[in-house]
Amino acid sequence: MLLDLLRMVRGSVEFSVSGKYPERFINITSRHRVRLWNVHRSDSRFTACMYRSDYRRIRPLARGAGVRLQVISKNGMPTMLFRYRERVGILIGACAFILSIFVMSLFIWSIDITGLETVSRSQMNDVLREHGLYIGAFKPSLDVRKLSRDVMIERHEIGWMAVNMTGSYASVEIKEEAVPPEVEDVYSPCNVKAKSDGVIVRIEAAEGETVVMEGSGVIEGQLIVSGIRTDEQGTHRLVHADARVMARTTRQASFSMSEQMKLLRPNGEDAERQMLEFLGLRLPYRVNAVDSPSAVSNTDTEVPAPLGITLPIGVVTDHVNALSEEEMILDDNSAEELLQQEARLYEAFALQNCTIESREYRLKHNDGVYTLYATYTCVEDIALSEPIGTDENTDLTPYVAPTEKKDL
Amino acid sequence: MKEKQKESKRRPPFLSTLNAPCIELSGNRELLIEGSKGVLEYSTDSVRINTGGMLVNVSGRELNLRCISDSALIIDGFIMSLSFTV
Repeated sequence: MLLDLLRMVRGSVEFSVSGKYPERFINITSRHRVRLWNVHRSDSRFTACMYRSDYRRIRPLARGAGVRLQVISKNGMPTMLFRYRERVGILIGACAFILSIFVMSLFIWSIDITGLETVSRSQMNDVLREHGLYIGAFKPSLDVRKLSRDVMIERHEIGWMAVNMTGSYASVEIKEEAVPPEVEDVYSPCNVKAKSDGVIVRIEAAEGETVVMEGSGVIEGQLIVSGIRTDEQGTHRLVHADARVMARTTRQASFSMSEQMKLLRPNGEDAERQMLEFLGLRLPYRVNAVDSPSAVSNTDTEVPAPLGITLPIGVVTDHVNALSEEEMILDDNSAEELLQQEARLYEAFALQNCTIESREYRLKHNDGVYTLYATYTCVEDIALSEPIGTDENTDLTPYVAPTEKKDL
Repeated sequence: MKEKQKESKRRPPFLSTLNAPCIELSGNRELLIEGSKGVLEYSTDSVRINTGGMLVNVSGRELNLRCISDSALIIDGFIMSLSFTV
């Protein structure tokens, strides 16, 4: 392999030797330290190969040995260069290619980020860009150790980071900081009170004294489970009251919308723009526009990656669809349908921790505005922990429920 | 001591091997000779090489000189016999 490469670089000549004593020629050449290879005999002559530079100086030796040399073929790089000596364009092209490879290797072609969990990729790309790492960045000016250190200092959610450069490819490995779990306070004394008005359905008390019966109504802020326990000797003890209080509550919400609506709809007119992206620069080469003030665009980027190597060149296609504004007046049915959609979104987000037992919608139309009033009956946890002060002013008198008073 | 002296007498003297060629045979397909002084005869059936002290005769079929330098050569082909003329 190496020998073949050397022969290609130095150039070789395949020739035939004919004459009375071809062996004599072999001996003379070897005595003059000329290497021969692939010597084949055929009838009265033989063929052999030697370096191009040696061939020039063996011609007088061949004459002395009484043999005749005939060139069969010339191979290798010097022959190729000689053949194309007048075609300057090829030489310039080859030089430009080598130069472009050298220059291009000084820039970052692609960046791969791994290990992201909570931080978004675009956010991380922006942070890296601020610190000088982006597609098209000049590689010799990058100090990857400093960059990793600065990013870790700036972004506390990143616990560890390393930037590995392989040629023009930057691989960013990230380990996010492990968030310590919240330690629940189970020792400080507290009461459980009602978060909102409702009727108690079920109380699951883990600690503390329950002071409200199931089925009774409570108002917001009312004590449900007391954190002051009294034993048989009448001694009071402060505990951390913990309970799950399921209560039936009523929630109300209203959603409004004007009867006149403006809609943006695609009118069928579209256009396509194409740009050549090279090391982060975008050069438009196909420009089209739509004749509409409103439009929506969808961008696709195609980056060639032969053999898994992402090239710094790509085609960005921008599909633009024109939108036209339409005005419509809603009737009762369509207004109710749209407002109920809003109500369902409200249920999905605002009432996600509640079990909705029933819902009631009421639509009203006043002064060109539709309003949907929604009433929900839910079952939800209304427990709210409230700490008990333990200073000298704290009243440690145990809470006595009204029912117990009656018994006394 | 006597045994050691006997052993050293049995061994050929080192200097006498310096003029002898070094021949390496790989199966019957390749022959390397180091210390050749010239090719006396070359055909596809036989090659005769002068090594100074003796002649090496290689006979066979489709014999080629794969590489020749000033002091070594490699013959490949189907080698049928190897003989020496001293």
